[in-house]
Amino acid sequence: MNQLFAAFGVNWSLIIAQAVNFGIVLIALRYFLYKPMMTMLNKRQELVAKSVSDAAKAEELFAGADAEAASRVHAADTEAEKIVAVARESANAEKARLLKEAEERAVLVAKDAEARAAEALERARRESERDIARLAVLAAERVLHDQS
Amino acid sequence: MHAGINVVLKAEQLGSVFGFPITNSLIMAWAVMALLIGFAYFFGRSLSMVPGKLQAGIEWAFEGAIAYMADVLGSEALAKRFFPLVASIFIFVALINELEFFPGVGSLGLVHASDFLPVLRAPTTDLNFTLALAMISFFAIEITGIASLGFFKYAGKYVNLKSPIGFAVGLIELMSNLGRLISFSFRLFGNIFAGEVMVLVAGYFLPYVLPAPLMGFEMFIGLIQALVFAMLTLFFIKLAIMDPHGEHA
Repeated sequence: MNQLFAAFGVNWSLIIAQAVNFGIVLIALRYFLYKPMMTMLNKRQELVAKSVSDAAKAEELFAGADAEAASRVHAADTEAEKIVAVARESANAEKARLLKEAEERAVLVAKDAEARAAEALERARRESERDIARLAVLAAERVLHDQS
Repeated sequence: MHAGINVVLKAEQLGSVFGFPITNSLIMAWAVMALLIGFAYFFGRSLSMVPGKLQAGIEWAFEGAIAYMADVLGSEALAKRFFPLVASIFIFVALINELEFFPGVGSLGLVHASDFLPVLRAPTTDLNFTLALAMISFFAIEITGIASLGFFKYAGKYVNLKSPIGFAVGLIELMSNLGRLISFSFRLFGNIFAGEVMVLVAGYFLPYVLPAPLMGFEMFIGLIQALVFAMLTLFFIKLAIMDPHGEHA
């Protein structure tokens, strides 16, 4: 056994030294690399979890806002429809009033025209009668003149 | 002219400090440690919430490894507890194996009494390093088992006096458990050392042409061996925390 150990150069002090070397590497890596890395990974995991929860909340808020907007649009539509209906009704009433007024005015104008026409006819008839009378007088005068 | 293939099974001693031998594998272990710790220090300080490509890649590997470990161990808390050990084994061994064929490793050295002594040698080709890692893994597994199940329940896995068959099975379990020390250390040492020798022999037969693809292959093998060591540690931890009836502790 001793020969075997001697052939491979096995030496207890070297084994202990190499074990200590590994121990130092283990402690240094743990302190300088693994710990900061784990802290970083945990931090990032927390950040990701928070981001996911924030995104879920934002989505919830967004969905609420969407519903609110839809309800407001619906209310605005209803209001607009009411306003349009009222405007249409009032326009129809105005139209009817204007038509009635125009009809009344037309009747008045027609009556006035008839009255004027009748008056003109009367005047013409009276003037004709006067002319006829005058002509008759003139004719009578001529006849009398001729006879005399 | 080639002076022949010089294969040295043990790490070469370059000197000593107060009687403590300084080998080339120890120097390379320190160099890799400096690289790793330097990288970890600067990388750990430059982490940001919006990652770059390197950070994103490392984070991906971290999360994947922890998820896999949680899957194997059946608990994320256990996965996070054992992640530093398993990941450090993988990273340390993988980096050593990847740097094994870098220029300078094995080729830069000192000439001492007409012998060439390389300054750097991959620690995974030194049984002292692989044995040290195997012991760390072994003790981590055993301590985890005792902490999870309690000393007597854990010992009951290996010393079963209820029946002769149970006793024999317990003994076999104990032997296979102790055998892990050998299998862990010699598997890693054998694979990496054999790869190095193979590249050396290939360079002797067909210089410049054959070693390059073999080095690429050996770097791949180095990665696989690092993974095997780390995964076996993970699986044996899983076995250690299971009670003798196969239920999770």
